[in-house]
Amino acid sequence: MKRYDFLVYFGKKAMLFFLSIFLLSVFVFYISRLAPGDPLLSYYGERAERLGPQEREWAEKRLGLNESVTVQYVRWLKNALRGDFGISYKYKMEVTEVIKGRIGNTLILGGSGFLLIFGLALLTGILCAWREDGILDRILCKVGTVVSCIPEFWLSLVLILIFSVNLRWLPSSGAGAAGAADDFCGRIRHLILPLTVIVAEHLWYYAYLIRNRLLEEMRADYVLLAKSKGLNKRRILFAHCLRNAVPSYISLMAVSVPHILGGTYIVETVFSYPGLGTLSYESARYKDYNLLMLLCILSGALVIFCSIAAKAINERMDPRTGNRNIAAGAEVQRR
Amino acid sequence: MKDGFEVVGIRETPREAPVKQAGRYKGAPFAAFFLLFFILFGCLFCHLIGTKDPAYLDLKNCSVPPNREFLFGTDTMGRDLFSMIWYGGRVSLFIGIAATFVSTVIGIIFGTVSGNAPAWADALLMRIVELLLSVPNLLIVIMIQAVTGRSDVTGILIAIGLTEWMGIAKVVRSEVRKLRKSEYVIASKCMGGGFFHVLWAHLVPNFVPSVMFMAVMNIRNAVLAESTLSFMGVGLPVETVSWGSMLSLAEKALLTNSWWIILIPGLFLTVTLSCIASLGNELRKRINRRQSLL
Repeated sequence: MKRYDFLVYFGKKAMLFFLSIFLLSVFVFYISRLAPGDPLLSYYGERAERLGPQEREWAEKRLGLNESVTVQYVRWLKNALRGDFGISYKYKMEVTEVIKGRIGNTLILGGSGFLLIFGLALLTGILCAWREDGILDRILCKVGTVVSCIPEFWLSLVLILIFSVNLRWLPSSGAGAAGAADDFCGRIRHLILPLTVIVAEHLWYYAYLIRNRLLEEMRADYVLLAKSKGLNKRRILFAHCLRNAVPSYISLMAVSVPHILGGTYIVETVFSYPGLGTLSYESARYKDYNLLMLLCILSGALVIFCSIAAKAINERMDPRTGNRNIAAGAEVQRR
Repeated sequence: MKDGFEVVGIRETPREAPVKQAGRYKGAPFAAFFLLFFILFGCLFCHLIGTKDPAYLDLKNCSVPPNREFLFGTDTMGRDLFSMIWYGGRVSLFIGIAATFVSTVIGIIFGTVSGNAPAWADALLMRIVELLLSVPNLLIVIMIQAVTGRSDVTGILIAIGLTEWMGIAKVVRSEVRKLRKSEYVIASKCMGGGFFHVLWAHLVPNFVPSVMFMAVMNIRNAVLAESTLSFMGVGLPVETVSWGSMLSLAEKALLTNSWWIILIPGLFLTVTLSCIASLGNELRKRINRRQSLL
């Protein structure tokens, strides 16, 4: 009986997931087709402008761009279900191949950034909550508010200006020295600046959240009881308050994936880091339809998966809340 | 008092002076307030402050470092940065405020409709909001912009406004759902109050504080979104001066190491954003302040 319940629960979530992906793909497909711009430009480059009307027609027919959007979408969906996502107009090879070459870089940057933010935010949050309104707390809060207000792209520019243009310590673009892409030290050197920007931008917001969540817990009645039982402050904070705060923090971190992802994309673009961010920016700009589709679906799938997972975590860890909104206490602060 | 009895033995108690609300403005971000006021003032009266025409391309003086004639230097196209800052600030802040107005109105209406709707419609509307919330905002703005195909101030502010209402809608909806079964709302409805009367007279006063905070934060987000978009080359063109489009020249400036083109507009942007943010945080603190039990 229990097993059956779990299957139904799981099936419901999976259905929601696939339905959302389907809607997303329809949405992106239509929007990108309706937007002005010439996809032939990315296929033929400069030559596209010199094509005669007949050649144009032929080229559009070859790429399947001459039919109505709906027909195109149905054909795309059929192929995609068989695992064939078409070719990239710009790179002239399978879309999956193009992405395969880049996805590792983004995962390294985004993944390590995410882990760093997760750990550091927890630490900073506890540190601030420990001495509420103390000097350290006040300084950290002030610094955090200011730093998190610095636009990502500008912080990247300033860091490039200082560390690569003037001091010449660190490289300003790319993911590894030319010809030595597997060089470990080179890779690390290329990661430092982008990683700094990502962590600095997001850390404070999450640290602030965990701090406020802890302070909220400290105002709950059970703290008074624990105190009157004679427990000391450390014990109450770590064994009682933190334990209540962590589930919502974890589910919040799951929700935060899209924000950190979005931030990664901007940072990648500024540092010309060869990851999915630069790729999706290029493909949106130059109408590389097939590539854009797969990239949107990939990031969409990640985002939707994370938000469903967050909900599931919340429901499992804290059965009281049921369908309570995770982000309600978070004062959705996004860009 | 000459009427037989005389009351004795009463201790005269001095009438208590009303206790002044101590520390009402303690810890308020005065610095942020004044800085913001200063910047706003400068942007409003930019035609008095600006010494030069911000659109004039002085090709003899390209990328000149700050000096007495060009207080903040000139950009790679020979425009005077000092005037551009004030004129550009006007555009950036206008976009921020107008976009927030758009998003707040949409959010309140959507939230109230959803809060008053039957359960299934409410669930559907909230699913839509969640779906929109899960897509990175920047992507939606780029798409809306691609569809409308306009890259001027109005186009941008509408695109940004259309992407930021979800948070407000959620807050308003949960407030409305909580309040709509309360006695005074029912009483008002029984006496014949219409949808907008109930909304304005009974619901809005209840969620003004929480919406205020989010609206202030939305101004910040909108200014940020505009600058990021313009920087990436999908927002305002270089000819329309704003803080974002000034920074889109940064790549060229990096090559020539002209720090002033990057640092000065960004500094103004950052200061403005953090001032708005600290005002917003102060607002939130005022709304829910309780004593710690620990």
